[in-house]
Amino acid sequence: MTNLGELTIWLGLIAICISSGCYWVLNSREDDTLALNVARYSFTGFVAFMTLASIFLMLAILKHEFIYNYVTSYSSRDLPLQYLISSFWAGQEGSFLLWVLLGSWLGIFLMHQTGEMEPQVMFIYNLNNLFLTILLIKQSPFKMLAAAPADGQGLNMLLQDPWMVIHPPVVFLGYAAFTVPFAFAIAGLWRREYDKWIRPALPWTVFAFLSLGAGIIIGGYWSYKVLGWGGYWGWDPVENASLLPWLAGAALMHGMILQQSRHKLRKTNFILAALSFLLIIYCTFLTRSGILADFSVHSFQDLGITGWLVFFMFGFLAITLWFFGTRVREIPISEKGAAFSYFSREFGFIAAMIVLSLSAVLTGVGTSAPLITRLLEKASKVSTKFYVDTNLPLALLMVLLLSFVPLLAWGKNDFSKLSRKLIWACLGAVVSGVITLYFGYPGIAVLLLSIFAGAAVGMNLQLTIKLIRKKITMSAGAIAHLGVGLMFVGIVASSAYDSSDKVQLAQGTPQSTLGYNLKFNGPEFYQEPRGVRLDLPVDVKKGNTEFIARPDIRSENNPDGQGRRFSRPHIRRGLLSDLYLSPVDFKPGGEENRSAGKQLELKKQEKIKIQDYEITFVGFDVSGMMGQKEGQEVSVGADLLVSYKSENPVNVKPIITKVQEGWSASSVRLPGPVEAFVTLAQIRASDGLIVLDYQGIPSGPGKSAEETPPSFIAEVSIKPGMTVLWLGTFLILLGACISIARRWPSP
Amino acid sequence: MKKSYVIGGAVIILALTMAMYSFKSTLTSYVTVREAKASKQSVQVAGIVVKGTDRYDLKSKNLLFTLREDGGDEMKVEYDGPRPGNFDNVTKVVAIGKYEPQKQTFLAKELLVKCPTKYEGRVKGE
Repeated sequence: MTNLGELTIWLGLIAICISSGCYWVLNSREDDTLALNVARYSFTGFVAFMTLASIFLMLAILKHEFIYNYVTSYSSRDLPLQYLISSFWAGQEGSFLLWVLLGSWLGIFLMHQTGEMEPQVMFIYNLNNLFLTILLIKQSPFKMLAAAPADGQGLNMLLQDPWMVIHPPVVFLGYAAFTVPFAFAIAGLWRREYDKWIRPALPWTVFAFLSLGAGIIIGGYWSYKVLGWGGYWGWDPVENASLLPWLAGAALMHGMILQQSRHKLRKTNFILAALSFLLIIYCTFLTRSGILADFSVHSFQDLGITGWLVFFMFGFLAITLWFFGTRVREIPISEKGAAFSYFSREFGFIAAMIVLSLSAVLTGVGTSAPLITRLLEKASKVSTKFYVDTNLPLALLMVLLLSFVPLLAWGKNDFSKLSRKLIWACLGAVVSGVITLYFGYPGIAVLLLSIFAGAAVGMNLQLTIKLIRKKITMSAGAIAHLGVGLMFVGIVASSAYDSSDKVQLAQGTPQSTLGYNLKFNGPEFYQEPRGVRLDLPVDVKKGNTEFIARPDIRSENNPDGQGRRFSRPHIRRGLLSDLYLSPVDFKPGGEENRSAGKQLELKKQEKIKIQDYEITFVGFDVSGMMGQKEGQEVSVGADLLVSYKSENPVNVKPIITKVQEGWSASSVRLPGPVEAFVTLAQIRASDGLIVLDYQGIPSGPGKSAEETPPSFIAEVSIKPGMTVLWLGTFLILLGACISIARRWPSP
Repeated sequence: MKKSYVIGGAVIILALTMAMYSFKSTLTSYVTVREAKASKQSVQVAGIVVKGTDRYDLKSKNLLFTLREDGGDEMKVEYDGPRPGNFDNVTKVVAIGKYEPQKQTFLAKELLVKCPTKYEGRVKGE
């Protein structure tokens, strides 16, 4: 059977090579219409082949063609449609295809916006597509298995969430879009046109910032809603991988606006455009080469593309350096250096760019710590404290700038005239500071952060209202900056003032914590395609509000024999604070013993009675350790005497065997009519102690006086400011949308 | 403009120095169980969860388990957080935190789990 998917990718590779070649020719022969047509048509061909390849993969998933390894690995027959669709980008290979696909689609729009710069822009843009297509061939999603299994392994349960359906496409749209400013920047250097590239590239930069930002925020929101650890940002390498280019891109965006209005920062913008693009490849390298596998919760494994990633990273770096190096002397510096003032919008922009770039660089250093330290000694990672330590002062500077810079004009400013307009900012600062102190002194840095964030909110709120009345398209910056202020208010509130408590909730027994009254109503089991879902309904009462929270624990049994358990929190949102109820561990009560199994500890010669059984631990049997030859398994047994209903005791000997990875124990059936088993869970020879797992011993009806009701341990937290935080992030994105609408070239 | 370079440069150098310091002090390296027990710093230890030892302490409501590393050394680990989703079937866990000699327990602030990956099967099957 020919592999149509792989064939189309190869055809796409040929098309993109032809297109790149023709654009190369066009660079020196500008009015070669034949070359131009071939370049454009073959690019369109590339788009068509990539679309076709994606359709093949999507159909293979929808039609459950498990002959494809990728389909087997990430989907299964029982998945509903939306998660079948999202298994397309659940794995590395598929997400590379998605990246190429989105990049090719963007190229169609880009091609017609580049004007005279088309050959150079599209050549560089194609180089990136070529690079991704080669990676796609190296790790194709169309690899076939020898025989198709009956069903696939399914999609990781954590990814079965609506937000995780859209998160990867949004992130990869941003990844693909950041190639555009890079292509424009290199084309500008190539053509020695150091200003002309800014205008067409700026809306693309804002677009890239928007989609990558939306991706990051969706990821954070998912993490908060689904993972149950109570946070939205963990400074994990995979998260940082999207943050770094985003921060660099934000700096670039400001630099481009400054260059457009003041004709300054030409060199800086070339560097920033290259940096944000190179960071995307670098971060792809970090997260997909397996180099951080021991340091991240979810780094991908090495699939044998590390070499290519490094090659392309240095390739693009070399291209950047060559063009920059050969042109740097002729790039004009600012035309009028005289008009510069420290108290001006211009200075504010530059300061903001330094802050954003520093944040990107320092976070990048932290993320690369295992690489850096590997060169020196042992590979180590930095704890999250490093990221907080370095980013907190930068965040402080950023909101400080936002609280007055928006007022300033580009050139000279008169402070006395402006001071009256600072009233809103001062008001915001005072309100925020007082509220912060009312809830407790959080340390000087956090207090200042909250005061300045309040000032930034005040300042930009006033500006937003003013500009929306004037002309809505002018309000993009004000809205986005209002969002930044609100986001930091939310970050301070949720990280410095959250309160949390762990309680054990037994069915029917009310408990109170953090001002809430909680009563667990008993577990509800639901059969799901791959396991069970355990709903844990809790009556929550506080004052007049009353509702039922429904956190759950889902367990999943995969065909490969792995079981997984996932806790999903219940979040009660409020304008000021969220109640976050996350199940930690479920304990079935007395009646559940039969299936659940329990543990008991036994000392040597100790006798213990469980229901109808009497178990005595006589001693260890170490014969399995004696005369042990090399390569032979070592085993230890425990001699038990078990009697059922006071019948004659029977010898029972559970054994534990040392295998390659740890120990393996087999269960032994107990005497008597009931299907009951014991397993040797643990031996502590030094204490003369064993731990037994037992299963299936029924709790006699009414016999046991201390029958325990089902219960679960819940982490209950109050997280203030989360709604404000999400609102802030939303406003940042909204501002970016407005900015694109204003700057998008009208046809 | 000259003055601005000096001021800007000074600020950046100050920031980088502080960052360097923070970088050094927050580095957590992989160590063995024995090294972890002697270390006063935050470290990370890799090993397997000894079967059947994981349970929730009812008083502290923390997750307790025994971690055994390749050489066979063991230590008790206490983790204040939810049991990771695939904890029951992990091949390897990485506990990040500090050893508390008084409790003879490693207090983990972070717990990374490595599950048997799907990719391994692929490499063999290719």
